[in-house]
Amino acid sequence: MSRSLLLSLLTYALLLAGMLTVQGEFIALALPLVTYLLIGYLQAPETIKLAATRHLSAERVSPNANVDVTVTVTNHGASLEEVLLDDPMPEGLVLNSGFSRHLLALKKGESYAFTYTASGPRGGYVFESLDVRVSDHIAVSTSIARVEAKGRLFILPPVTRIRPVAIRPRRTRVYAGSIPARAGGTGTEFFGVREYQPGDAPSSINWRASARYLDKLYANEFQQERVADVAIVLDGRLRTNEFAGRHSLFEYSVQAAASLADALLTQGNRVGLLVYATYLAWTLPGYGKIQRERILHALANAKTGESQVFSDLEHIPTRLFPAESQIILVSPLLEDDFPTLLHLRAQGYEVMVISPNPVKFELSYLPTNELVQLASRVIRMERTLLLQKMGRAGIHVLDWDVAEPFDHFVRRRLGRTPFWLRAVGR
Amino acid sequence: MTIIAFVLSILLGTISLAIGYSQAGAFTYSLWFLLLAAIWLVAHFRKWYWFSSIALLLIVFGAAYGVWREFSTVWMLLGALGGLLGWDLSDFARRLSYASPMDDTRSLERLHLERVGIVAALGFGLAILSVVIRVERLAFEVAVGLVLLAALGLTRLVIGLRKY
Repeated sequence: MSRSLLLSLLTYALLLAGMLTVQGEFIALALPLVTYLLIGYLQAPETIKLAATRHLSAERVSPNANVDVTVTVTNHGASLEEVLLDDPMPEGLVLNSGFSRHLLALKKGESYAFTYTASGPRGGYVFESLDVRVSDHIAVSTSIARVEAKGRLFILPPVTRIRPVAIRPRRTRVYAGSIPARAGGTGTEFFGVREYQPGDAPSSINWRASARYLDKLYANEFQQERVADVAIVLDGRLRTNEFAGRHSLFEYSVQAAASLADALLTQGNRVGLLVYATYLAWTLPGYGKIQRERILHALANAKTGESQVFSDLEHIPTRLFPAESQIILVSPLLEDDFPTLLHLRAQGYEVMVISPNPVKFELSYLPTNELVQLASRVIRMERTLLLQKMGRAGIHVLDWDVAEPFDHFVRRRLGRTPFWLRAVGR
Repeated sequence: MTIIAFVLSILLGTISLAIGYSQAGAFTYSLWFLLLAAIWLVAHFRKWYWFSSIALLLIVFGAAYGVWREFSTVWMLLGALGGLLGWDLSDFARRLSYASPMDDTRSLERLHLERVGIVAALGFGLAILSVVIRVERLAFEVAVGLVLLAALGLTRLVIGLRKY
């Protein structure tokens, strides 16, 4: 019940009692209440004319880094006797120092600024408005308002700098890059020998091959290196990422996707990102630093989700990916995912799967006993079989134990093989 | 500052009623009022702010009952006034609890106590005046008419002020 209603009811009750009992003292009892009500209403705040601005010390930070949020409120209306400013923080952010709620008096034209420090996990956070509660000193009437003070904070996933990633899609783009294009031309690595043509550099002549023929010269041809189209598919399905006790592999997958996107974009490739969770979040392919920002923002907002439609990978929209391009799926993988990946392979895509190992991850926090050991052996065998099956289907599967830093893993498993090793067929 | 004023208000309200009732020989009721003061204080320090509305109702009801039984009007008035102040200060303390430690709550407290003091003095003064000044030749029908007119006027005033 509001304060004014309670007092009004008491006042009317006393007046009524005075009338019924014909005793003026009841009216006298009501007078302090009436005075209180009247003074309260006379001092009631007028229309609230507050404006607020918000300044963040940084708009993109790494997880759990401190951000100073400064809010300045200016009163453009009449003086306000009691103002409660409450800046609700987006869910997930934690207040580290300072205060987001203040009680004060604001005179006409006066400004008040307050700063607090917040931090939080990966995510995109939107600050909308301040909750303002204005009342007179005795708070008979209270006005509640929302004052817009927008701000956006992106807590981006950590990007580990990794070495260039060796991929070999069937089709590349026309621009020069670092991906072997399966075509002869100018490049650095040996591709083959062809007949010498006018215009070829004399240094390209393969004298050893030419010596075998009397009338012809042969020249070395190098493999063209171009940029490629790469689609990174981040599996955000709840059933593949979340385990008992709210343990999740998703953060590792996000970190891997961010590092891969960064490395591939640094190589000059055209990279797109598809987050496959409750719905499809598609970041159109692009090049360069702006695309890196787009992808990091998309990854900041990526969440696991459950949907009947997207419970299997079969709804990956292949139309989004250029034909015969490279698809990198970051997923802990399920048995049911194999047919879809096989289908992608059959369509001509070069498929690489980076799979954070769920078995080792779960074992890292489960108690060590016989039952767990037995179960882990069974599941590990199933997973090994699945990965072997994928390998036989031409899908490049990288089984990542998340205990190992992603950059070490990539250096070990995904770095470009030196030419002298490739020459001996490794 | 507010807490001291709050405790004093509660003591003023309940002790006034207790004195008024005990002067009239109703000692049992006096003890109940002292118990109410204790419960109210405990409720406030346990942050059960909702209790202050119940306490105000009980105190005003107690004062009205005392008036009906023709106990000393001044003690009843002081009781109701103390209850009103206690209720107001309890809510103010609740609002102050939202302030951050860096806020200038002392000046807010000072202004609030000034305003409430003025309200209390004005209300009590008017009430005492209304008790002291008696118009003997006023017929009951006229008195009823005046009360109704006052209620109507009050309602119109409140509605008007709300619109404003």
